[in-house]
Amino acid sequence: MIRRLEELLKEALEELKAASTPDLVLQAKGKYVGRKGGIASFLKELGALPPEERKSAGEAINRVKAEIETGIDRLLDGFKSSDRDEKLKKERVDITLPGRRIVSGRLHPVTQVMDEIEDIFLGLGFDIAVGPEVEIDYYNFEALNFPSDHPARDMQDTFFVGGDVLLRTHTSSVQPRVMEASRPPLRVIAPGTVYRKDSDITHSPMFHQVEGFMVDSRITFSDLKGTLAHFLKSLFGPKTGVRFRPSFFPFTEPSAEVDIGCVICRGSGCRVCKGTGWLEILGAGMIHPNVFRAVKYDPESVTGFAFGLGVERIAMLKFGIDDLRLLFENDLRFLKQF
Amino acid sequence: MKVSYNWLKEFLDAAPAPRELARALTMTGTEVESLVESGGTLNNVVVAEIVSCSQHPNADRLKLCEVKTATDKYSIVCGASNMKAGDRVALALIGAELPGGVKIKKSKIRGVESQGMMCSEVELGIKDTSDGILILSPDAPLGANINDALSLGDALMEIGVTPNRSDLLSVRGIAREASAVTDARLKEKTFAVVEGARETEEIVSVSIEDGAPCKRYMARVIEGVAIGAAPEYMRQRLEAHGIRSINNVVDVTNYVLLELGQPLHAFDLDKIEGRSIDVRLAGENEKIETIDGKARALDPSMLVIADANGPAAIAGVMGGKYSEVTEATKNILLESAWFEPSSVRKTARKTGLSSESSYRFERGVDIESVPLALDYAAYLIKELSGGTIARERIDVYVNTLVPAPIKLRLERANAIIGVDVEAKAAGYLKRLGLDVEEAGEGALVVTPPPYRSDLKEEIDLIEEIARLNGYDNIPAALPSALLKSGDAGKATRIKRAVKGILTSAGFNEVLNYSFVSQKAFDMAGGKDGVQLSNPLTEEMVVMRQSLIPSLLDNLVRNLLQKNDEVRVFEVAPVFLPGGKLPVEDWRVVGLMYGLRNGEAWNLPKEWVDFYDVKGVVEGIFEGLGLEGSFEVGPVTIDDLRLFHPGKSAAIMINGKRGGVFGELHPELKLKLDLKRPAYLFDADLSLLSDLQANKKAYRPLPKFPESGRDIAFVVDVQTPYNEIISVISSLDTKLIERVELFDVYCGGTIPPSKKSLALRITYRSMERTLVSDEIEAIHGRVRDEIVKRFGAEVRGEQ
Repeated sequence: MIRRLEELLKEALEELKAASTPDLVLQAKGKYVGRKGGIASFLKELGALPPEERKSAGEAINRVKAEIETGIDRLLDGFKSSDRDEKLKKERVDITLPGRRIVSGRLHPVTQVMDEIEDIFLGLGFDIAVGPEVEIDYYNFEALNFPSDHPARDMQDTFFVGGDVLLRTHTSSVQPRVMEASRPPLRVIAPGTVYRKDSDITHSPMFHQVEGFMVDSRITFSDLKGTLAHFLKSLFGPKTGVRFRPSFFPFTEPSAEVDIGCVICRGSGCRVCKGTGWLEILGAGMIHPNVFRAVKYDPESVTGFAFGLGVERIAMLKFGIDDLRLLFENDLRFLKQF
Repeated sequence: MKVSYNWLKEFLDAAPAPRELARALTMTGTEVESLVESGGTLNNVVVAEIVSCSQHPNADRLKLCEVKTATDKYSIVCGASNMKAGDRVALALIGAELPGGVKIKKSKIRGVESQGMMCSEVELGIKDTSDGILILSPDAPLGANINDALSLGDALMEIGVTPNRSDLLSVRGIAREASAVTDARLKEKTFAVVEGARETEEIVSVSIEDGAPCKRYMARVIEGVAIGAAPEYMRQRLEAHGIRSINNVVDVTNYVLLELGQPLHAFDLDKIEGRSIDVRLAGENEKIETIDGKARALDPSMLVIADANGPAAIAGVMGGKYSEVTEATKNILLESAWFEPSSVRKTARKTGLSSESSYRFERGVDIESVPLALDYAAYLIKELSGGTIARERIDVYVNTLVPAPIKLRLERANAIIGVDVEAKAAGYLKRLGLDVEEAGEGALVVTPPPYRSDLKEEIDLIEEIARLNGYDNIPAALPSALLKSGDAGKATRIKRAVKGILTSAGFNEVLNYSFVSQKAFDMAGGKDGVQLSNPLTEEMVVMRQSLIPSLLDNLVRNLLQKNDEVRVFEVAPVFLPGGKLPVEDWRVVGLMYGLRNGEAWNLPKEWVDFYDVKGVVEGIFEGLGLEGSFEVGPVTIDDLRLFHPGKSAAIMINGKRGGVFGELHPELKLKLDLKRPAYLFDADLSLLSDLQANKKAYRPLPKFPESGRDIAFVVDVQTPYNEIISVISSLDTKLIERVELFDVYCGGTIPPSKKSLALRITYRSMERTLVSDEIEAIHGRVRDEIVKRFGAEVRGEQ
């Protein structure tokens, strides 16, 4: 009986293999595992067997039946999925057509750079302070150790409103305002809009600055160097060269101009850095004792550093913009690039 | 200021090469902004001496010379015959490239090797013709570069002198600084003033009025000069430094100004009435014609140099026309003085005159160098124009400068700089010409020279120490400070949040000038604006009180560039009338124009409308977590300058006005020549910020199912939607969860004065599942209420 079963299995599998349509498979199904099929007739023979053989014969029949059924199911599934594939193929779309765009606008490049600068200093524990753009002479100049009728005032061409009211020429004006309103230790940046009476390819009558300062009991020039080097490397990349040169600002002493290695030519000298390999990027220094005196801090017990930088210049360097005026023309073809 | 390297070298021994000097100056705070080297481009051409000169063995017309430099010997084949043993010549070595493009290579000439070339002036590019090779002076240093030996090259440095360093506004001053920051040594010029027999005081008298802002006035007289042109070298130098050559006397005064930094003035002595000089403040209504030919009104704040007739010069600013030195001048009165910086500055600003003189006086000249400049100029005038210098100079010195010593604590210097400078501090200060004495207890007493009037207190000395130490030699360290997180503050947070929402909604950020034209200001109904007293152009005269005109300008410019879909916004303050300072009110303002979806193949081509801009305003509130916290209200008369009366609304927050939005007024649309309406919103940023302080709080999600009913009905077209909603919502606040509008329909079978609204009303209880009887009951009440309150006619229900 086992031998006959094996023959049935072999015959069934061969027939299935040859079945080229679902109908032929179903036909084979009836012939072998249907109610009146081959397997059914074997089951009928079971009763005639002696009881000790019955168990193993039954198992053999079930095994063959299962094997044939598996073959049938696999074939039928195959026919079904190729049918479906055929149908789905016809639903194909042109994947190269443009999608339905979600619109998204851009922040102005100056804002993008401003945000980046703010975030670096927020990460260092600096708070953000703001001050008025229309300012009094006292906070813009006098409290910052710019005496009236002093040539240092020529460093910044000022728009006047009348009396002692003017448009602030730098966000340094926020420095004495914050110091008057609070006590050290202070770690503050003051981003904002400033105005100077100057307009050409490299000067805009309105531009943006970030002023920053730190006041505590033991702040040194060394701390200034470390903080600004960290900032510039965060902004321009860890390999950026940073150079400090002595300079003069009325409200800091010692004062420094800070240069970075030219981001265009990487220091070999080009038009942007005028062949020097260096780009002037910010002004800084130790807060002048006269500034502390103006805000009633004791210069013997606190020291501090301050710095200021122009955001437009940094944006131009970072994005390779060669004309400052583009930043204020607000042409969407320009704005959408950033 | 500009300074010539060769001129500097007249004051320096062992000066470094131009680039090296420029670097040293820049890195110690005297920024060399540009360096232009001219001429002197010859390379590998050196001074050599001819040791022997003999006939070339194979050529009659060639010579064979042995020459030497300080270190090497060369044999040279030469075609010239004007040289002899012992002559010093310009030798172009192998590798030299001469101006005509000739490259010097090792070569054999008629079988004899030549290791270079002895050059003529033509070959060196110095002259157009020459006879034979150039024979140099016997003291030309052997082996020296020919550029130096012949002073062929120069380098013009543009130096950015900071306002505190008036001592650097001269060749000598920069040389002095160079000697402090390099190994170069300062050398002074020597000259002798040969005086005649006649006393200066016999010829002219000088007085300074009490209290006049003049601390020192010196004068000399040179009689019998011959006015003519200054020598070539002087004219060239003046011109290279941006000063026009006039004549040999005026040029000397300018030359000395550049060289020593002391402004001088030469008067035609014969035009000085009464031969007396009075340094005094001008009287009311006094006038002067200055040398530029302009008549100038003076006032009692201005210092003048007056003769018996009145003002002959505006002190330190500009001389008078009448007494200027002309070709006819025979006798000269030469002035060298010290005027109060702030006085000169005020006068220069008032008169609008700024000169090389006023620039220096404003910053302060060295009162102790006043005599040196006077003598040097007198010496040069006599050299160049002849004449006799009268005996003894006049010197009215009101307050002799008393040097003020400054105490310097070395510990303090360390604390500011962050590195130990105690051992080096005194040395640095001495290099700068400061007098330094030990004062014990780690302190120094330092007396600056008179030309360093910027050094007034301890911190000034600390800066000098730091910069001579070199900022590069100060280590960089991160400060140790209390660990804390930075606080961005309310203003920054709201700005960033709103900008984020708007860019996500497709708006691009613009930045416009805060000052606008009067026209733009008036267009938005500005009142009592902050006017600039010195505007740059008419486009920038007044601080804006609305950002909308700027955005409309952005729209028009973009449309010109064929940027047809415009969505822009700006976040900036407007400047409203306040007290002494205006109120700076931060606004967020946006503009939409064009197709809602652009020209996309798969999106409907529809133009933006009122509900787009309203959606943006709603989106801002929702994005800030403030959904439903504003209502629309009526616009004001002022709004109607910019907005369409029927398609605009005020943003009301808790009864307070928070802004406005809507369609641009059709009149403006016409004026700006727009094809389609533009839509605008303008919201108060600080109000949004205040609202945002409300804490977000969790509401439990419902546990029981909702049940929705639709109802469509016809009402009068003017019935506001939000009234219907509020009537429905207030019927049963517990069971009516929300009301949504899903269709508005006009036309067709609906009469023209009516509109059809279709609402979905969602019912839910938080306590139980509603049974259908309950829902029918409440829905019936909703239906009845709509019919009763709004005269609605129900078209269908589901």
